[in-house]
Amino acid sequence: MFKTFAGALVLAGSFAAVSAYALDVDPALKDYKKQAGVEGSLKSIGSDTLNNVMALWAETFNKEYPSVKIEIEGKGSGTAPPALIGGTAQFGPMSRPMKSGEMDDFEKKYGYKPTGLRVAVDSLAVFVNKDNPIKCLSLAQVDAMFSKTRKKGGKEDIKTWGQVGLTGEWANKPISLYGRNSASGTYGYFKETALGEGDYKDSVKEQPGSSAVVQGIASDKFAIGYSGVGYKTADVRTVPLSAKDGASCFDANSDTAYAGDYPITRFLYIYMNAKPGAKMEPLRAEFVKFVLSKQGQTGVIKDGFYPIPSAIAQQDLKMLGVE
Amino acid sequence: MSAMTETLAASVEVVPMSKSTGRRTDMRSRGEPVLWSLGGALAIGIVMILGFLALVFSNGVMTFVPKPLVVVTEGDGELTAGEPFRSELFKPVAEDLAKLSPEWQQRIKDADGYANRTLYRIGNFDIYGEDFRWVPDFDATKFEEPKNLVFVERMEWGPFVGRVVGFKIDGVDQPFTSLDDSKFRDVHDASRERAQDIRKIERGDIGDINHALEQERLNLRKIEMASGRNSAEYKTAQESLNTRSAALQLQYNELAATVSKLREANAKNTLTLAEIGGREKTIEFSALVRAYAANDLSFAQKTGVYFSRWAEFLGGEPREANTEGGVFPAIFGTAAMTLLMVIVVAPFGIITALYLREYAKQGRLVSFVRISVNNLAGVPSIVYGVFGLGFFAYVLGGSLDSLFYAERLPNPTFGTGGLLWSALTLALLTVPVVIVATEEALAAVPRSMREGSLACGASKWQTIKYIVLPRAMPGVMTGIILAMARGAGEVAPLMLVGVVKLAPELPIDGVFPFVHLERSFMHLGFHIFDVGFQSRNAEAGKPMVFVTTVLLIGLVTIVNATAIVVRSRLKRRFAGSQF
Repeated sequence: MFKTFAGALVLAGSFAAVSAYALDVDPALKDYKKQAGVEGSLKSIGSDTLNNVMALWAETFNKEYPSVKIEIEGKGSGTAPPALIGGTAQFGPMSRPMKSGEMDDFEKKYGYKPTGLRVAVDSLAVFVNKDNPIKCLSLAQVDAMFSKTRKKGGKEDIKTWGQVGLTGEWANKPISLYGRNSASGTYGYFKETALGEGDYKDSVKEQPGSSAVVQGIASDKFAIGYSGVGYKTADVRTVPLSAKDGASCFDANSDTAYAGDYPITRFLYIYMNAKPGAKMEPLRAEFVKFVLSKQGQTGVIKDGFYPIPSAIAQQDLKMLGVE
Repeated sequence: MSAMTETLAASVEVVPMSKSTGRRTDMRSRGEPVLWSLGGALAIGIVMILGFLALVFSNGVMTFVPKPLVVVTEGDGELTAGEPFRSELFKPVAEDLAKLSPEWQQRIKDADGYANRTLYRIGNFDIYGEDFRWVPDFDATKFEEPKNLVFVERMEWGPFVGRVVGFKIDGVDQPFTSLDDSKFRDVHDASRERAQDIRKIERGDIGDINHALEQERLNLRKIEMASGRNSAEYKTAQESLNTRSAALQLQYNELAATVSKLREANAKNTLTLAEIGGREKTIEFSALVRAYAANDLSFAQKTGVYFSRWAEFLGGEPREANTEGGVFPAIFGTAAMTLLMVIVVAPFGIITALYLREYAKQGRLVSFVRISVNNLAGVPSIVYGVFGLGFFAYVLGGSLDSLFYAERLPNPTFGTGGLLWSALTLALLTVPVVIVATEEALAAVPRSMREGSLACGASKWQTIKYIVLPRAMPGVMTGIILAMARGAGEVAPLMLVGVVKLAPELPIDGVFPFVHLERSFMHLGFHIFDVGFQSRNAEAGKPMVFVTTVLLIGLVTIVNATAIVVRSRLKRRFAGSQF
């Protein structure tokens, strides 16, 4: 899998999003065509970030195949690998790549590694209350707010809004931190990219879902927190981020995500148990084809995330052998 | 309350008055403070319950009322159209303040630096990429409520707020007059009907074909597992599968052709809408749930919209990741699970209590068992959930799967959460309630009645069956009612053993064996959690939380009321036969 997001997108080539407004799917993506004889039940256990997209996919897929039963459970990316290993779910949506330890556990049982599909693009957004005037934060500043180890090289612990340049009533106000619980892939990804694998402060209020993070920030004027950009509401705003102190800032939107400018952009994945060389049974194959089709990627936009370029979709489908 | 006041009053009289000593009446010795604090506690309790109910009901009942649409013109000429959702005071930042007119600056200064702003539900998520927008009062220069603005609820992408530009019937442009135009109504009804036909064919007929194909495939797999890939049985089975699937494929093609014909017919009937800024969007009539001119509604039309929304909510399936549409699968799942739980818990609890009270030798062991049962009632419910998942789903379900559903593996049938495991887990959770209540009821049956029965020559079992149990029945029913109320409202353990976000397939349907105990299901309590705290748009989900809460409270009330009626009937039946 691609470690850096920007590298993968260079492969994607020509596709560029038109604008942040009214985002469209890559016209080169395939139209989904319905097949006969698709029946059975599917279960998905995993990421909370992808929970609503999965539900939207299930709904639209069900329109094509009303007799297919799809059940969705989303309590955190950490719940996906055990479910795949135990065979309790066919799909394990995850908001971070699977860790090598999890891969090994899977391999121990089945003799091959699980397959991960890239199904959406997300700018892991740093949210503040809508009234917060903050213009820009560097990753080092974000790290100094959230982490007690400050691996990104922040000089001092940032505790008040005054320390990041806010004035007036904001200057002395303590920063109230919101985050996800440790089963979450968002928690893991933020820890890896923004904190440089450092430790979170104990004062971070760990929420059970992305929506809970956003609602917490909406009602707490001096709050800051992180979650998938798809959960943005009118009561919060995203903070533009810069990779280094002094570098230019980029807001979380599709343009900066595709260009690789926004520093914490990520892929969202669906992992599954696919035996190499064996033909996948029609139900799962059709669902995967659907997710990576025009219709499936429209669902991604509907949920506020960004669709993947066609080149990446083709690559992943080829890897699974379900073109 | 009156009984309590009376007893307190009686006790006050017993306290000797201290008049003779010439001192003033001591409030404390008369028990006045106790009376006041008791009454006060009760009053606070009642106020809290009423306040909670009033909050939930006022929010829940108002949600489906059609609200007016307002067009706001902002200072820079930008237009915002939408339903005003809520407003609040805020402190504008200094640099925004500096840009304002002196008049507004003075007004904000007079209000201690606070200004008002309103949140509008603007809809049109497919065009704007957001569905709510804040507009500060100082930015707005003009408010209008144009009569031709329509609120369109769609199957996808949420509501659309804008104007109707035109519509097409069979691909031919039609002049648009109003939403009440009979042509408009007819084409909408016809398209919706076709959409329903499509659904019926796809779900019913095509579903049957797919089901048959899947059964054949599983059958083949079973034979393969039993006698191997090279056996004669496998070859015959494979041949029969091939012929059968060819026949089914033919049927499928026919149905698919019918469906695509209906789809084509629907694709020709379209409605073109324009948002307030002029950008247009064309949708099919079949994807239109309802449309109304929000600022031009008579009272009757408003009522019509209101009740049609309730009907959709109660009878429909959820759409758009549960934030829209109905909750019928959740209502059905809650009811089915609770009933199944009662079927399990009632006999189990009653039998246990009967043995403990009537047969077991009262001693240390029995009182230990009793203490354990009472303690079980205090175990946090999530612990039951963990037990249900670990024991019922993984151990029991896993073995059931490998014994009876081996051909479906690795896909679990009973080896994962489902209706049966949820009902069993909740039964375990509520069984102490039933045991305790039944024991109390049995103990309350007078000893004289038992002795009378035994003296007449009845055996112990006959005495229990004909004398004790009937008289204990109202008390037993109370226990079962309490258990149901607890079970219907429980969510935490269910999240582990079978409740899911989306499971449109009901656990009871027309496909053999009709009751599907292995299926996951939706639950109203979990639905509230999901819509309120897990959905993409928390703002739009809030009203739905209140509506669903009203529904859940209503459902629990109905279930309890029914049980109470049954109990009072039982009581009356035995009231006359007392000695």
